[in-house]
Amino acid sequence: MNTNSHGHSLAIAGGVAALAVLPFLAGNAYLEHLLVLWMLYALLALSLNIVIGYLGELTFGHAAFVGVGAYTSAILSTQLGLPPLLGLPMAGLVAAAFGLVIGYAALRVVGPQFAILTLGFGAILFTITNHWVDLTRGPMGITDIPPMAIGPLAFDSARPTYYLVLALVLATAWLCHALVSSRTGRAFLAVRENAPLAASLGINVFHTKLLGFVAATAIAGIGGAIYAHYIRVITPDIMGVHNVAALIIVVIIGGRGTILGPILGALVYIGLLESLRVAGPLRMVIFAALLTGTVVFLPGGLVSLWQRWRNSHKAENNLPATPTGLPSTEGGAK
Amino acid sequence: MDFTVFAQQIANGLVNGMAYVLIATGLTLVFGVLRIVNFAHGEFYMLGAYITYFVGTLLGLDYIAAAAISAVVVAGLGVVANKLIFWPLRRDHEFTILLSSLGLALLIANGGELLFGADPKYVESPFADEVLDIGTVTLTQQRILVFAAAVVALVAVYLFIRYSRFGKMMRATAQNPDGAALTGINIGLVHTYTFALACGLAALSGALVGPTVMIFPTIGNWAVLKGFIVVIMGGLGSVTGALFAGLLLGVIESLGGGYISLGFMEAIGYAMIIAVLLWRPNGLFSTARGLR
Repeated sequence: MNTNSHGHSLAIAGGVAALAVLPFLAGNAYLEHLLVLWMLYALLALSLNIVIGYLGELTFGHAAFVGVGAYTSAILSTQLGLPPLLGLPMAGLVAAAFGLVIGYAALRVVGPQFAILTLGFGAILFTITNHWVDLTRGPMGITDIPPMAIGPLAFDSARPTYYLVLALVLATAWLCHALVSSRTGRAFLAVRENAPLAASLGINVFHTKLLGFVAATAIAGIGGAIYAHYIRVITPDIMGVHNVAALIIVVIIGGRGTILGPILGALVYIGLLESLRVAGPLRMVIFAALLTGTVVFLPGGLVSLWQRWRNSHKAENNLPATPTGLPSTEGGAK
Repeated sequence: MDFTVFAQQIANGLVNGMAYVLIATGLTLVFGVLRIVNFAHGEFYMLGAYITYFVGTLLGLDYIAAAAISAVVVAGLGVVANKLIFWPLRRDHEFTILLSSLGLALLIANGGELLFGADPKYVESPFADEVLDIGTVTLTQQRILVFAAAVVALVAVYLFIRYSRFGKMMRATAQNPDGAALTGINIGLVHTYTFALACGLAALSGALVGPTVMIFPTIGNWAVLKGFIVVIMGGLGSVTGALFAGLLLGVIESLGGGYISLGFMEAIGYAMIIAVLLWRPNGLFSTARGLR
């Protein structure tokens, strides 16, 4: 056990070190830009994973919260001249406030109804953003957003931004890890597996879910703000169906309910998106096929491949197998 | 308030609403019988419109024949989708089924964009430019056809579910699949035909509405949202609920668009489902489980 957890932390340290030197290996600005996109998607996917993976509810509204964060920080910095560094926590707060109100309403229903309700809320936020031209400039979007800066350190190029987002990804990953090993996190999983049973054990299902939902939306808002200050142009498209689908695809392909899964899924998504650029519209067909294929054939996502391999390895050495991915929500009659 | 304008808005709303009812009926049937919330339903509407267009332009058949062929072809595609995806997953968690229907929706929508091109198309119909005056209200013949054909289709579906032997099997499966299987009902067959019926209705709706609007490969997205709004309002699984809710949504949207703002009209429907889900989560017309 001791050597195992020692090996575990060694592997994590190695992984973090590899991520830290990656921009130096990239060699050109384009690859560095892709690394930033990878980390941004990993951050957003980690936040979505709290709802999809830990709470076990499908939300179609997540991109709207990314948009709320992006617009909050962009409007504050372009119209009120607020430094982007202050815009970042404001984006998280405003997105969390939206998450609190919407979650408070939507989490009263579960399953398909919850999914449709979040779709409705997301669509309303999109419609408002698209038509409230005085505030958001509508479909024209907001341009000339100033880059993020901490004192003299400006995040106006890919490499510093990469380290900023990497730090946030690691912080979020650590938060998720701490969450899952805490009482609150175990309450999340209990609610996901069997809500009535969790309630009978004294867990306040509604409050537990609301907590997870608000945390997820706050992180999404911060991610959106960083995106806005990095790309420096935002349009209502950031809240669109396309982005909703992309985030869900990232989480499911990587492996929901895990920490490595969304990060891995984001790598696959950005990697395929760029390497298949010539394929044009065929790309989205490939992603849709990957999503459907993963749901049907590999419900635990890519990370479950590793767990499968390790279990078969352990079986050869007569070691007890650890359960893979998310076995208990899959399969079994309702 | 001008009465003529008001009556015109109501008439437009009823026509739009009837198209929503056609889409929503399939959605609610699939939920009632198969317990699937099918996010890909709107894509069958899109396919219905496009197949009508291609049969009309490439094979040179007239509009009515093209619409009929399209409904049958799409029903067949629905059978294939059910066979490949939904039937094998029928005992899985509802989360898995939701996700797989989302995957299918993205697959068909993006596949459609690849095959048909992203540029808008226009479905030719001999009724599209002919105008009919009923009192003070003016409608194109095509819009009257949308309403009339939808009424005929819905009455047929209603009678089929209510009185035919197969309709009884569908209702039995909706109430209790295991119990229905025990009495010797072939559940697999019921699933297949229900899915085919639902997809055929969606395609019919697409074929009927197609000539009144421009069609894009992404209209399925719009259609499934309208379908969901109606189905949630009427109650998941309720056919009569879908009828009232669909007409209500059509009229409210039409009046809201006419008197308040076209831009925010889209948001009215979403606001309605949010209100309904929070106030009566099982819909305005629902009582118990099963097809009604």
